[in-house]
Amino acid sequence: MHAHIKQRIESTINNIAALPTMPEVATKILNMVNDPEVSFKAVAEELSKDQSMTTNILKLCNSAYFSKGKEITSIERAIVTLGIKEVTNIVMVIAAKPILDKFVIGYDLGKGELWKQGLIVGTLAKKIALMKSRKDIADVVFTGGIIHNVGKTVIAIFVQNTYNDILEEVKKSNITFNEAEKTIMGYSHQEISEKILEKWNFPPVLKAIVRYYAEPEKTPDEFKTEVSIVHIANTISIMAGIGIGSDGLYHQLSKIAIDNLKLTGAELEELYTKIPEMTRQIMEIQ
Amino acid sequence: MNGSLINVGVAQVKMGKEPAILRTILGSCVGICIYDRMKKIGGLAHILLPNDTSKGTIPEKFADTAIPFLVQLLLKEGAKKEFMSAKIAGGASMFKFEANIALGQIGDRNVEEVKKALQKLQIPILEEDTGGNAGRVIDFFLEDGRLKVKASGKEKIYYKV
Repeated sequence: MHAHIKQRIESTINNIAALPTMPEVATKILNMVNDPEVSFKAVAEELSKDQSMTTNILKLCNSAYFSKGKEITSIERAIVTLGIKEVTNIVMVIAAKPILDKFVIGYDLGKGELWKQGLIVGTLAKKIALMKSRKDIADVVFTGGIIHNVGKTVIAIFVQNTYNDILEEVKKSNITFNEAEKTIMGYSHQEISEKILEKWNFPPVLKAIVRYYAEPEKTPDEFKTEVSIVHIANTISIMAGIGIGSDGLYHQLSKIAIDNLKLTGAELEELYTKIPEMTRQIMEIQ
Repeated sequence: MNGSLINVGVAQVKMGKEPAILRTILGSCVGICIYDRMKKIGGLAHILLPNDTSKGTIPEKFADTAIPFLVQLLLKEGAKKEFMSAKIAGGASMFKFEANIALGQIGDRNVEEVKKALQKLQIPILEEDTGGNAGRVIDFFLEDGRLKVKASGKEKIYYKV
């Protein structure tokens, strides 16, 4: 363990200003839609206060990815046509893009690769939820999938300094790259992601997704379905080379997650097979 | 770096001629680089799965259909079979998975099928950088057919054509 790296990471995560910022409107909307009593008027009003958010929402509503066919020209129409949850997904895509759409040293991800992976994992996660008749969590796993790797943007610089040690630890101790991050640097990127989501005041389910997506066996029971879904989505994405960096495939494909979701081998392969079509789908919202 | 960089996505087949560079990023997928050393043209197929399940509708996705598809494209451009050779890379596996999860073995299955398909067409494989658990970024330089493979922060260059 590099004690000085651990210290530097600690001072970074304790300095709120050093962590990425989520637009306030996004956090507000995310927490509003969790309230079953929320009125769509209140959501529309909140969104309309932010002019650039409104413009972006209307643009994405009419993209092939989100469009239901009819042209949408107002936030109210968007909510009526697509539903509050889908509009929240759109808000999250808009809010997360500037945070994730950059190159990530350390993990050796070229510009846009982390962002593309977020969109693929979100899309895959939603697909898995629907496949397993869990429409009720399709939106939350979509959001979780998009931001599941956000901690990498902060910890990358430290991975850059310790990469060889991390990889050596992987091989020596037969542990995954994420586990070795913790051994060598004192923190894994998932822990950093959790800190970031705390700063953003995001709901517990999303914090659980970013914290446990790589080790679903440790998830608290109440969120195991959501976490397992994002685990599978992420694994399939890196197997297909989407968002794969210097950490490679030094990860696990968890049987516990597969069992939690009762996914068959054929279903897993079907999801993997659909990756090329998904990369085309997300191009418009990339 | 000279020449234009052409990105090849998952389940895409692209070709070009010198001085273009074909690039792709591989996990369990396999990148098949075929080069005609006389004409200095070549192509890269990025396959996702070993065997066609699309009934021929998406030949680019599968080893057994993408490779003949790529060879046909090159022949149309004037390449000759006898001057073609292949280099392959990718086919990594997840570091940890339980043996009974078939998807975990997809990397090995891909490599195996790629070799079969190339053998069927009698195109020799000169270099192979496959297996393991690392992701790979590969650059295929059409000026001389060399292949650069970047994995786990290290680069290797394969020159044989």
